[in-house]
Amino acid sequence: MGWISNGSDRRSTLGVLPEISLAFDVLYQSLWKQQHVPPAVLELCRLRLAQLHRCDVELHRQECLVPDTKRDKLSQWSSLPLFTDEECACLAFTEVYAMDAQALTDELAEAVKSHFGDAGLVMLVEALGILDGMTRLSLLWQLPASSEAQECAEQRV
Amino acid sequence: MSGQARAVNTDKPTGNMMRDSALGLVPETLDHYMGLNRTIWEGGPLRPADIELARLRNARKVNCVFCKSVRYDIAKADGLSENKVAMIEDDFRGSDLSERDKLILAFTDQYLNDPAGIGEELKGALRTEFTSQELVHLSMVVAHFSGFSRCAVSLGGMPAELPVMEMSVP
Repeated sequence: MGWISNGSDRRSTLGVLPEISLAFDVLYQSLWKQQHVPPAVLELCRLRLAQLHRCDVELHRQECLVPDTKRDKLSQWSSLPLFTDEECACLAFTEVYAMDAQALTDELAEAVKSHFGDAGLVMLVEALGILDGMTRLSLLWQLPASSEAQECAEQRV
Repeated sequence: MSGQARAVNTDKPTGNMMRDSALGLVPETLDHYMGLNRTIWEGGPLRPADIELARLRNARKVNCVFCKSVRYDIAKADGLSENKVAMIEDDFRGSDLSERDKLILAFTDQYLNDPAGIGEELKGALRTEFTSQELVHLSMVVAHFSGFSRCAVSLGGMPAELPVMEMSVP
């Protein structure tokens, strides 16, 4: 149980506000169904945000499958040939975004656009806003990592 | 911050601010984004003036010029004055804002500065002043508007300054 409500994970915490919870869920699910940036790339960005925020809850979460090798080596993405140019462009953008969105450069944006176009850049920043927000809330709500893992498992059944 | 827009929507203008922005390039998510935006304003227990207080504090901290310049009409109708807005500065704790208002700003700052580091004193004060539903609502207010501000900053193209402008929830 978190301090903010009787909820023990994101879903049950948001559950005290059914209308907002539903609207959020519809938006969140749309991130993983859109065509502009592959969901697996967004998942790597989401996991990198979780690493940078040191958020175990979000590291335990799994929104879509990425190879275990990439998940395990994610913190070394910039020095390993394991990651594609598309992934590297989005991860580089994500790292600066996480520190300070004002510090993003045109070069970082152009690198994303060179793979995914203007719409892909918009999709990435929109997704990062939501994923960074949920990571911060997991930390602020002090949700236990174990229950989030359980929540993900239940959603996949 | 880049003065040059990094993504441009060249579609025919619709008259809707959000649809005509770069966000309109991703229609698959825009409708849902707008739906959540409206529900954040209308579907929770916090009053519009409370929501606007948190939104503007975030806007100042993230330095989104556009977000800082906007005042939502429903928040003004709910009693949010420019006098109150002027007190949403870093020294808000010594201002004439109510304790409830100060807690809204303290929660917003905690989210932005160090979400993992929230202390027992602030948690206790928040639980005393707000219901669980209000705290979850405040959480979603801050997360939603912070994501929007960061999105606007990331896409560039904002002027250094804008005049205050009143608008309705799109």
